[in-house]
Amino acid sequence: MIYDEFVTQIEGHGRIYFEIKDGKVVEARLEIHEGSRLFESFLRGRRADEVPQMSSRICGVCPVPHNMAAIQALENAMGIEASEQVKMLRRFMLSSQMVQDHALHLYVLAAADYLNVNGVADVYAKYPEAVKRCIRIRTVGNRGIELVGGRAVHPVNSIPGGFAKLPTRADMEKIAKDFKSIMNDCIETFNLFASLKYPEFERATEYLAIDDGKHFPVYAGKLVTNKGLNAEAKDYRKHIKEEFKPYSNTKFCTINGHGFHVGAIARVNLFKDRLNPTAKELLKSSPIKFPSDNPFHNNLAQALEMVHYCEEAIKIAEELAVKLKDEERPKQTKAGTGVGVVEAPRGTLIHEYTVDNNGIVRDANLIIPTGMNTTNIEEDLYALLTANVNKPKEELKWLACQLFRAYDPCLSCSTH
Amino acid sequence: MKPKVAIFDLTDCEGCEVQIVNSKFIDRILAGVEFVHFRLGQRVNRWDNFDVAFIEGAVITSHELELVKKIREHSKLVIALGSCACFGGIAAITNFMDKEEAKRYVYGENADKIETLYIKPLPEIIKVDFMIRGCPIVPEDFERVVSDLFAGRIPREHTRPVCMDCKSKGNPCQLLKGVACAGPVAYGGCGAPCPSAGVPCDGCRGPLEDPQITAELELLKKIASKDDIIRLFRKFAPMAPIFKEIGGGKL
Ligand code: SF4
Ligand code: SF4
Ligand code: SF4
Repeated sequence: MIYDEFVTQIEGHGRIYFEIKDGKVVEARLEIHEGSRLFESFLRGRRADEVPQMSSRICGVCPVPHNMAAIQALENAMGIEASEQVKMLRRFMLSSQMVQDHALHLYVLAAADYLNVNGVADVYAKYPEAVKRCIRIRTVGNRGIELVGGRAVHPVNSIPGGFAKLPTRADMEKIAKDFKSIMNDCIETFNLFASLKYPEFERATEYLAIDDGKHFPVYAGKLVTNKGLNAEAKDYRKHIKEEFKPYSNTKFCTINGHGFHVGAIARVNLFKDRLNPTAKELLKSSPIKFPSDNPFHNNLAQALEMVHYCEEAIKIAEELAVKLKDEERPKQTKAGTGVGVVEAPRGTLIHEYTVDNNGIVRDANLIIPTGMNTTNIEEDLYALLTANVNKPKEELKWLACQLFRAYDPCLSCSTH
Repeated sequence: MKPKVAIFDLTDCEGCEVQIVNSKFIDRILAGVEFVHFRLGQRVNRWDNFDVAFIEGAVITSHELELVKKIREHSKLVIALGSCACFGGIAAITNFMDKEEAKRYVYGENADKIETLYIKPLPEIIKVDFMIRGCPIVPEDFERVVSDLFAGRIPREHTRPVCMDCKSKGNPCQLLKGVACAGPVAYGGCGAPCPSAGVPCDGCRGPLEDPQITAELELLKKIASKDDIIRLFRKFAPMAPIFKEIGGGKL
C-alpha cells in the first residue's frame, strides 16, 4: 500500500509506503525520490571563499544555515576565529531565518492540514488575515537576512572571517523596530497553533540539538541529547551513523542504532529554560506542555520559536545599534579539516570540509536535519500506523502524510 | 475565468519558488489564479490543461524527463523558472566531472543505485516560451513576467549587462579592484546584489545575447588564473551557451 503521489506541501519529492497484513503493520517506509545533486562531490575543487555561497544552494527555503555552517566549518579548517560581533550578526541572520521560515512552514504548508482545506490558496480565501500575518512576518524576516547577508535567498555578503560589508548602526536600529512590529503577529501565531487539535500520539525518542552553554540553540556548540550524549561537534561521525537504503536517495541516520529527532521540538524539549522572556511566559500559559513526545507538537514548538527568535533578533539588533563598529577581518589560510554546526529551522545541520594549502576544498561531508530525522520518521510512522491500524485506508494515508509534514522535512536538502 | 496555473519543481533548492512567495504580488496571485497543479502548495492536483506552467529545477532523473514532456503537452505556455531550469543550475557542475566518480564519492558502493542524468537546460529538452533567469530569480522579474502574461503581452528580455545595475547602485567596481567578475557579460536586471555586497558577480543569470566575451576574457586573464576563470563560469549557470565553453576549459 503506497501513497502513490509524492507527498504534497513539503519541500521536495518523497513518498510514504506502508503495508498492512492481517491487521498488522509489516512495513513503513520513507521513500525519498528527490534527485541527488551531489554537492559533496562538486564542492571539491572550489575555493574556500566561494563555497559558502554555493552551499546555500542546497536549500532555497533555509539558505542561511547552510551558508553559516559552511563558513563555520571553513573557519575551523583554516584556523580563523571570527569576532564576537561577527558571531552576533550570524546569530541575528539565523534568528531572522528561523522567524521567516517557520512562518512559511506553518501558514503555507502545515496550516491546510489543521484547517482541513486543500491548500494555501484556500487558506487565503478563508483566512486572509492569517495569510497576511504570515506575509508581514516573512517580509521582516527576509529584511533581516537581506540587511546583514545582502540577499534574502542565498546570502552573498557573509564569508569566512566575517562580512564583505557591514550594516550601519542606523540599519540595526531600524531593523530592531521592524522586528518589534511583528512581535504581536508571532504571538498570535503561537496562540493560533496552541488552539489547534493535534492527533493524539506519543512515542518517546532521543532529541538532539547543539549547545553553546549559553544561548537557546542556534550557532555553534556541542552535540547534546536528552539521553546523555554530550560530544564535540568535530566528533560527530563517532555518534551519528549514516546508512543507505535502496529505496531512498537520502541516507538514514541513527545514534546507537535507533532514530533521533532534531528540530524545533528537540530544541524546545531540551532548552526551554533558555527561551527569551515572552516565549517563556507564553509557554506557561500553553495548554500543551514541553517536553512533549508527540511529534505533531513540532508545529507548536515552531510557533513558540518564532516568538523566541523574534525577541532574539530585537535583542541583538538593539545591542548592535549602539555598539556596532568597523573591524579588521581576520584572514588566515592553513590547510586543515573543520566541522561547523548550526541549528536550521528543521534541526541540527553539520558541514565538514577539508581545505588544502592553496585554500581549495578537497573533501566535503554534509549531514542535513531531514537526513537526521529519517529513521525517527520511519519509527514514528510504524508506531502511528500500528496505533491506528483499524482506521480506513484513506485516513491512514492522510495521517501518515500529516505526520511526515509535521517534521517540516526538506527533501531537497536531505538528498543534496 | 481565472488563469489556470501550474507550478512544478524538479530537483533543485526551491529558492525560486520561495522568491514567488516573497513577491509583493503574492496575495493577488493567491486570489487571482487557479492553481491546478502546485504540489508545494496544495493537496489535490489535477492534470487539466494549464494556461501557464512554471518549471523550476533541473532534470536529473528519468521520471523528471518524462514529467517535463507531459507538462509541455498540457500547457499553453511553459516558463523556465531560475537558472536550474534555464541553464542546468549548480548541480550541472557534475556534467564537467566524471559522474560515476562523483556518485561514488557520495554514495560509495551504492552509487549505481542512484540515477543522475547528464543535466541539460530545459530548452534543450522541450520548447520553452520564456525564461525567468537567476539563482534565485528576483521577485520583481517574476512580477513583471506575470503581469505581462496576464495582460496578454509577451514578456521582454532585459538587454543590459549586470554592470548597468551596478552603475545605477553606485558600486565600486570589483574588476577595477582586481577581482574576477562576470558582470560585463552577464544578463542584468537583478539589481546587482552581489557587487553591492562587495563580492563579484557570478553570472547566475547567464550570458547576454551578444556578450563581449573576448574582451572579458582578456581582462580576466590579467587578474585571475585559468582555474579561477573556469570556476567563475562553471557555477550557477554552467550549461548556458558560452559559459559552458569557458567553464569546460576553452579559454
Ligand atoms: S535556480 Fe538557484 S535558487 Fe532557483 S531553484 Fe535553482 S539553485 Fe535554487
Ligand atoms: S563589479 Fe562587476 S558587475 Fe559591477 S561594474 Fe564591475 S564588472 Fe560590472
Ligand atoms: S550580480 Fe550576478 S551573480 Fe549576483 S544576482 Fe546578479 S547576475 Fe546573479
